Amino acid sequence: MTITTQPAVRFGLRLLRGPTGAVLIMAATFVLAALTFFAINGRESISLFQEMVMGAFGDGYSFSETLVKTAPILLTALAVALPARLGLISVGGEGQLYLGALFGTGAVLAAVDQPGWLLMPLMLMGAMAGGALWGVIPGLLKTRLGVNETISTLLLNYVGVLLVSFVVHGPWKNPNSLGWPATIEFPQGAILPQFFDTRVHMGLIFGVVAAIMLHILVTRSRWGLGLQVSRSNPRVGATAGISYERNVLIVMAIGGLLAGLAGIAEASVIQNRLQDGLASGYGMTGFLVAWLAGQHFLRIIPLSVLMGGLLASADSLQLYAQLPKASADILQALLFIIVLAVASLWPNRPKA
Amino acid sequence: MESFVTELLTLLFAALRSATPVLAVVLGEAMTQRSGVINLGVEGQMLLGAMTGFAVASISGDPWLGVLAACGAGIALSMVHAILVLGCRANQIASGVAVLILGGGLSAYYGIPFVGNKIDTLGNLNHTFVSDIPLLGQFLGPITPTVLITLLAIPAISIFLFRTRTGLRWRSTGESQEITRNLGHSPVPYQLAAIAFGGLMSGFAGAALAVDYTANWVEGMTAGRGLVAVGLVIVARWNPWYALPAALLFGASEALNLKLQSWGVPISPYLLATLPYLIPLSVLMLSYRGLRASGGGMPAGLRVVFQSAR
Repeated sequence: MTITTQPAVRFGLRLLRGPTGAVLIMAATFVLAALTFFAINGRESISLFQEMVMGAFGDGYSFSETLVKTAPILLTALAVALPARLGLISVGGEGQLYLGALFGTGAVLAAVDQPGWLLMPLMLMGAMAGGALWGVIPGLLKTRLGVNETISTLLLNYVGVLLVSFVVHGPWKNPNSLGWPATIEFPQGAILPQFFDTRVHMGLIFGVVAAIMLHILVTRSRWGLGLQVSRSNPRVGATAGISYERNVLIVMAIGGLLAGLAGIAEASVIQNRLQDGLASGYGMTGFLVAWLAGQHFLRIIPLSVLMGGLLASADSLQLYAQLPKASADILQALLFIIVLAVASLWPNRPKA
Repeated sequence: MESFVTELLTLLFAALRSATPVLAVVLGEAMTQRSGVINLGVEGQMLLGAMTGFAVASISGDPWLGVLAACGAGIALSMVHAILVLGCRANQIASGVAVLILGGGLSAYYGIPFVGNKIDTLGNLNHTFVSDIPLLGQFLGPITPTVLITLLAIPAISIFLFRTRTGLRWRSTGESQEITRNLGHSPVPYQLAAIAFGGLMSGFAGAALAVDYTANWVEGMTAGRGLVAVGLVIVARWNPWYALPAALLFGASEALNLKLQSWGVPISPYLLATLPYLIPLSVLMLSYRGLRASGGGMPAGLRVVFQSAR
């Protein structure tokens, strides 16, 4: 009885040749790369890695912190994946997130005395409008002038961050904050609901619901089919009455408003106010997750949880093991590089 | 009137100094894109170059050694992009973003011990014969070596690209890899060299910023200069000569930002700080109108990159 005749083994081998094998090799290579990175820097790699996993998924609290990080990653990843359906490469999640926080906070400050039932929707609508605006601008630049959306979104990220700095250092600064650049604390009515006494908030629900809805819309609706046609050949689309230009604006606006929701959730629940350094890096992490998921909306959900775990554990290791925060960036980049490299070894490109 | 001219010239030369890191990246990235490869990772390469250059200058005490190390760091990191794009046929934008994140992470991680260190600078042209030139001396004096090197790179690159056989093949690779292949050459060495040259220039740009211009290392100090440069390559029409005015756009916006702040203009410094992004972006818009009409010299190979995107 040779090994190859055993059906279980044969099944396993066939699986390895497919996408599962690619994912396994990606994961194994990444673990190896992470261990090597720790070892090079004179760390006890195995125990540090164990601590990382525990810091992300070890107990209820760690997992709740992982989910807290998952929400903005999920939303910003969707903001990348939807435009990608039209062949656009938007890297603007970061700026859209900041603009969402900016406009949402503006709504809160304008209606600060209103009861929660009015304040909350105003805040969310403001956030969506802000994010959508920062999506539509590169969209318009693309459709009207042909400006490459990757470059315009990247540049607008910096502008978004500076605009938030401007308001928290200037007109919206809380006079009683003793010089600390931040707005007043959000009133109770402007704090998004949280679950089970943790910091896990509505943003996560928004993200999951949006991912499922987008998946259904894009795969099952006329509009989704139109996106596909538009993407592969805008001219054919135009003859069928599908406007590529309009679709660009729509996907950029929807993507932007989702990232905007991530921004206001961070300001409202995590910071309780708008301040500098609102959420540095979520936009890039979202870009990476969207790419790892092959721009597939449903795959983005579990991958966001995994990446949220990576960020959460990096936060806790920063406290307990004095591991610099930048190590999270390095690990993310290593993961991205490994996935891009390994995916090319499989002929049918299982992911990305 | 004379004071106005003086003011304007001061602004222009301040713009030149602050434009230099961007100019170096524009030159390098233009060369990379001329071979049909786009590299968004220049931002990360610039950061790693800045950190490495500053660290080596701080340890060795020799700023020139720092500049060399920065160039090496830029090339080393650009090889990640080369392996992914040329070796693995990965999407160029995605690979560029990976390099961008990696460079930012590595520089932040290993740069921690050097924050706040003091280094010797490369000096400038003050107290040389140049600063004794009547009228212009006061403006030429503060010019530093990296400015001169970067300016000298313009004619050098231009001659290489437009006057040599290798330059011709370099450009033809960017227009169509097929042509290069049909002529019996592999496009890979050209693209590899192009990516490495982009790495060299972005690493050097990092040193120009950290070792020369500011003599300081702060995490994320490039603040998007590399990405602005990728945009300005389009404004410069992939031409080394146009790279100078394009980069001066950034330099002038930054110099204007600092000037307005020093004049006490009642505009928030945070709003003024958006100028170095918004002005290049606006010019990019204008530039695209021309590009759409004429094709504007975009290497045809790049069009494939932008369109096969995903």
